[in-house]
Amino acid sequence: MSVEDTNDNKKNSRRQFLKNGLIAGAGVVAGGSLLASYVDKSVPASGEKVKVLTTEGELVEVDKAQIHSPRVSIKESHNGIPGRKFVMVIDLAKCKNARKCVESCQKGHHLPKSQEFMKVYLLQDSEKSAPYWFPKPCFHCDNPLCVSVCPVGATFKRSDGIVLIDNERCIGCKFCMTGCPYSTRVFAWKDYPEFAEDKEPYSPEASSPGKEGTVAKCDFCPDLVRIGKLPYCAQNCPMGVIYFGDIDEDTVTNGSETLRFSELIRDRSGYRYLEVLGTRPSVYYLPPVERQFPVERGFNDLEESVKNRFKTTPYGKTHKL
Amino acid sequence: MRTENKIKVILFFLLCSCNLVASTQNKKDSVTDITPSITLSYLSSNDTIILTANIFDRKEQGTFAIKNAVIDFSASGDKETKFLGQAIADDEGNAILKVGSANGLPKDKDGKTTYSAKFAGKGKFMPAAESFSAKAGRIIVNFSKQDSLSFIIVTATQIDSKGTIIPIQKQKAIVYVPRLFNLLKIGETELDETGTGKVEYPGKLVGDSLGNITVIARIEENDLFGNLQGRSSISWGIPKQYYLAEKPTRELWTPIAPIWMIITLVIMLTGVWAHYIYAVVQLVKIKQLSKKNQNNQL
Amino acid sequence: MENKDTKEKLLREFAPQLEKTSSATLIWILFLLGVIGWGVYAFITQVTQGHIVTGMRDNVVWGIYIVNFIFFMGMSYAGAIVSGTLHLFRTEWRKPIIRMAEYLAIISLLIGPGYILLCIGRLDRLYYLALFGRIQSPITWDVIAISTDIFGCLIFLYLSILRDIASLRDFSELKIPAWRKKIYSVLALGYTGTPEQEQRLRRATDIMATMVIAIAIIVYSVLAWIFSVTLQPGWHSTIFGPYFVIAAVYSGTAVLIIAMWVFRKVYHLELHITRKHFVAMGVVMVVLAALFGYFTFSDYLTKWYGSEKNDESLIKILFTEYYWPFIFSNYIGVLIPLLVVGIPKLRTITNISLSAIVVIVALWFNRYLIVIPTLESPYLPIQDSRPEWANYSGTWVEFALMAAGVALFCLLYTLASKFVPVMNVSEMSETPKTESPQIFKAEESLL
Repeated sequence: MSVEDTNDNKKNSRRQFLKNGLIAGAGVVAGGSLLASYVDKSVPASGEKVKVLTTEGELVEVDKAQIHSPRVSIKESHNGIPGRKFVMVIDLAKCKNARKCVESCQKGHHLPKSQEFMKVYLLQDSEKSAPYWFPKPCFHCDNPLCVSVCPVGATFKRSDGIVLIDNERCIGCKFCMTGCPYSTRVFAWKDYPEFAEDKEPYSPEASSPGKEGTVAKCDFCPDLVRIGKLPYCAQNCPMGVIYFGDIDEDTVTNGSETLRFSELIRDRSGYRYLEVLGTRPSVYYLPPVERQFPVERGFNDLEESVKNRFKTTPYGKTHKL
Repeated sequence: MRTENKIKVILFFLLCSCNLVASTQNKKDSVTDITPSITLSYLSSNDTIILTANIFDRKEQGTFAIKNAVIDFSASGDKETKFLGQAIADDEGNAILKVGSANGLPKDKDGKTTYSAKFAGKGKFMPAAESFSAKAGRIIVNFSKQDSLSFIIVTATQIDSKGTIIPIQKQKAIVYVPRLFNLLKIGETELDETGTGKVEYPGKLVGDSLGNITVIARIEENDLFGNLQGRSSISWGIPKQYYLAEKPTRELWTPIAPIWMIITLVIMLTGVWAHYIYAVVQLVKIKQLSKKNQNNQL
Repeated sequence: MENKDTKEKLLREFAPQLEKTSSATLIWILFLLGVIGWGVYAFITQVTQGHIVTGMRDNVVWGIYIVNFIFFMGMSYAGAIVSGTLHLFRTEWRKPIIRMAEYLAIISLLIGPGYILLCIGRLDRLYYLALFGRIQSPITWDVIAISTDIFGCLIFLYLSILRDIASLRDFSELKIPAWRKKIYSVLALGYTGTPEQEQRLRRATDIMATMVIAIAIIVYSVLAWIFSVTLQPGWHSTIFGPYFVIAAVYSGTAVLIIAMWVFRKVYHLELHITRKHFVAMGVVMVVLAALFGYFTFSDYLTKWYGSEKNDESLIKILFTEYYWPFIFSNYIGVLIPLLVVGIPKLRTITNISLSAIVVIVALWFNRYLIVIPTLESPYLPIQDSRPEWANYSGTWVEFALMAAGVALFCLLYTLASKFVPVMNVSEMSETPKTESPQIFKAEESLL
């Protein structure tokens, strides 16, 4: 028996989950088709079966060994989750720079502090327009320039829309980093000690363990999606800013609220960042209208080094951060 | 046993005890006993009962799930208690048990069954228990078309003390469609005297690739019934379109290159290397000429 | 036709270059080896400790290495284009300097790609480029183009030194070890200068001269496209291909002038390389200066005039943080050669050589300003409290490797001049053609 540390917020949102009458979060797997796809054939069956609950209230039996290692092999990670096309919606009206998305992502992917797959920017579109917090994952573009420019096919786009990096293939030329107009990619400038924390075998779906001299980025957590969990950032956002789902199913959820994607985008004037570049992102933003928090709230409880990031922004200059 | 081996054995035990001391000192948690908490949730779905117990320890730093805890589930009525089964908590502290049907489970005089989840305690983990009472019920989902409108008809029933089926009245039922991560709410209705409610089907909902869509109706968080749900499928959904065709495309970002790119490259490379070969052939000829000259001179 | 007496005379003159190594030259070579050793140490540091020892970070992912890569490749293309063009047009004054241009082409081509390798995080996987190469990637284009270029330049250089090697083989007075004679004899391919051999050699050289020019243009455009195919403001420009080609030839011409000046001094070639040659190369440099200025102006004018938000912020950075490098590389680097060569009074060997140095430094900064400020002003503003992550500055490792590259360049140039004379003896001993083509009349009247 062991004690597993789980995030407080996660637990809180889980409480919420129960209140809403939806059944417990863990081991919830959606639909039989998804389940079949996440059972990793490369893992030998242990013979011990465990029960897994689906959102439809159905119990399915899977092999324990296979459920414990949802990481698929490098070869298998090139195939998307069948019949899915993932989309993320980020509600800027609700973001208060709590940075739980960043922290949980770093923890989940065993990243050092200097590598952020999710970054939170303080943006201000023009001098007189209002500043707002802008969480930025990888946009998983449908016309991904990073993938086009890769000389060795180390980064690839799958049928479910997810763009992944195979750090066993990456030669570290960093061309993809200059190709990405959103500064999404990070480089392992040295062998960070955090990489060694992860003892499981490497899978591009987990983006972990990291490797010195290779590029990494936000991966939409397909390893979690395969076991019916939301990506770390969406799971752990205390404000429910980040919605995630299957665009072909027209549904996104932040864990406690499940909405129709098309209606959400229509009602809240959803848009994609820098649409003009023609990269066709899979991440949509809801504009920061009728905000739940003033932008200043984002400076509460920030680490000094993080707070200093915003010193040079127009907002930081006028407000003497 | 040779002395050498004896020493080895002694050393081994010494090392082990050192490790034990070290590990107890490292772990603050192990100094005091842990009193876990359990939450129990109940879902009755199409005559199947699913009990989920979550076992965790709440501390100042946050909550900690207790993995691998063995949870005993039982059902009790006025007179008897029936053991239902055992489940082991997973990484997040959830132990899930599926119970076939509420029929045959002990009941109290109101027809309610008390379900309980017990953790017997182990080592430093103290025992814990939680229970929940619910009455058996049933929800049936039907579909009907009236003129151009489509409706989802929800009917909820229960069994009274005499054993006859009677409607569940004046309760709120919520209608969902299951989605990848969660259920998508599409409407709610107040059940009438006959235990029936009606929700207009909103349309434009994506089903599976054949257009079949599953609809779930639920009475949630009810004092009497707990979470009660019924589900049914119909072919009203929009067939799901798959984003990418299976056959590989030739784009800049796909594994295989666009044809025009290959053609351009081949033309350019052939052009250049053909000239290189021509130049090298000239050099070979020069060499051959020198041999010829030498032969002539000889 | 070659004049036998002239050739003997020339060979006798150049023989000491090949026969002896003066103590000064030895010290020079040892010094160069020392610098290269420093570079090797820096390289080992980078390999063992990771790229963290460089100034490159997630925003500025490419630094001085890529600047040097562009710079050396540029010199190579300049060497190829200058030697190819001068050969094809049978320009009379090319003869004493064409060999230097050919050396420039191949030597810098061997060093340049080394710098892009230094940018690569996992050199142990370099062969993946061949194994898993995707032809959609401009890096793959570059790999193919550069290797094609290396072969082309080697063949071209070989064709043009063939006759000299044959002359050295036949030159009995040359006091060199027997093994070197043996090398000459093997490399000379039994060339004796029969009319048929001469005709075949000329045909091959003409073909390769054309090829070398064409490839140089393509390869350098490919290099430019590595930047311009991305969406980065400041790089995403259609003009980059030709702009890079012109900048390359411009900087390379300046390097060639420096080489002429150095060899003239070291090997006492005052008789052969005269003011006429410096002025001729100076004129070429001025033409390129004008073209380079024109392209630079076009590029920045359109960015500034349209003033898209990100272009505007780039221009702002260039005119604030990078003010002096910008003024130096894009104004002074263009105006100095224009003035020095444009004003007849200033047209001296020393002045032209000095202005060539200015051009080289200016063009190095030009590349720096193309690479680094762009990476420092991406679409999403850099918000980082760590100064080294927000702004780039090279570390000792990068500067050591830069110095090592320059040293290696000098070393290879020195060694090459010890193997085959830095002047094309065979061509110089040819009697001049009676009529030079009309277009060069004007040019020669300038001299």
